Amino acid sequence: MVYLSDMPETQRDMIVNQDLPNYQNTPCVEGPPLSKRKISIITTAGLHRREDKVFTPGIGEYRIIPNDANMNDLIMSHVSTNFDRTGFQQDLNVMFPIDRLNELKADGKIGEVAGYHYAFMGATPPMAHEAVAKDLAQLLKADGVDGAVLAGV
Amino acid sequence: MRPPRALFVPFELGRPFGPPNKPDLQQRVLFDVLKLLERNDGPLIEDFVSSPADHNVSEEENEGWTCPVNLAKPRNDLTDIQNLALDLKQEIVLLHPWYQESIASSGGRRLDGLTSHSPEEIVDILVSFVEDPQIESFLSDQPISRALKLTADDLKHFYFQSAMARPTNISDGQLENWFYGETLAGKLLIKIRAICLDHESKTLQLIGRTNFVPNAMLKHV
Repeated sequence: MVYLSDMPETQRDMIVNQDLPNYQNTPCVEGPPLSKRKISIITTAGLHRREDKVFTPGIGEYRIIPNDANMNDLIMSHVSTNFDRTGFQQDLNVMFPIDRLNELKADGKIGEVAGYHYAFMGATPPMAHEAVAKDLAQLLKADGVDGAVLAGV
Repeated sequence: MRPPRALFVPFELGRPFGPPNKPDLQQRVLFDVLKLLERNDGPLIEDFVSSPADHNVSEEENEGWTCPVNLAKPRNDLTDIQNLALDLKQEIVLLHPWYQESIASSGGRRLDGLTSHSPEEIVDILVSFVEDPQIESFLSDQPISRALKLTADDLKHFYFQSAMARPTNISDGQLENWFYGETLAGKLLIKIRAICLDHESKTLQLIGRTNFVPNAMLKHV
């Protein structure tokens, strides 16, 4: 379970003490209906193709996962020992729901699956990711992506 | 910057879209979170509504997990370095057929490969660190701190993939308890953690605290 009360103290403190933005009553961005949107998955699970460079702790960086990549070839170089990996080891979709996304496209529930998905390693402090995250947002916009699933672990 | 929409899910950390091999449930989670894109009244965080059926397990899954191989009870004294390496390689030999079976039954998917080393080579590498904690990095493009973590994870992935060769309802806790409580490889990682914690290098002290043994498994230390 992911309730704070169920976490070991050190993990709970790390999460509670994160410096996060305060949105108050800011509304979300408007957009077309889901059935017209192009969706990309952005995971923080430290996933990448076997031939890609492994993640470096503390560095703001991401890996590209092309939609036509062999998804059986994705491996994980996340540093954390404190989240379950047995689910991932049995079924990639528990954290990177690429098959489920393709099914939603086939059912007409989303417009398109993006040509590229992206992976970060969530253990790196959020502010270290800021510059590359802003660059990536521009790339996503240029590719016509108007919906992203931010899939944390 | 405008706020994201969020869906709170009642699943274990590491499984944000639900349990493995439950495509209907996973699709519901994904669709529910995507549907939030059609709401603009943010910031918002919604609860995923699960049903009792989501928590049912099949008869096959209910059988629970046992390792396909009976390993010798690992000793806690790891000071006999040469025998340690030999005993670890014996564990690997016993697990290897199940590792192959696991890869075959999962369509060729394998989870190790963070380094180019075989499990046996990793044993030699990690044992050499136990023998001499001042050694230089053994991966050309990584510092010793990251090299230790990547090789340790490759070894752990080999053990986990072997242990999961027979599909059952496996929880993280079961496998972690088996690995750290019942395998010599787990004992080796506990030993490496202890060496790192006592190391003069601040970086190794840090990874000793966080990289080798999950918080929930410190009971095996």
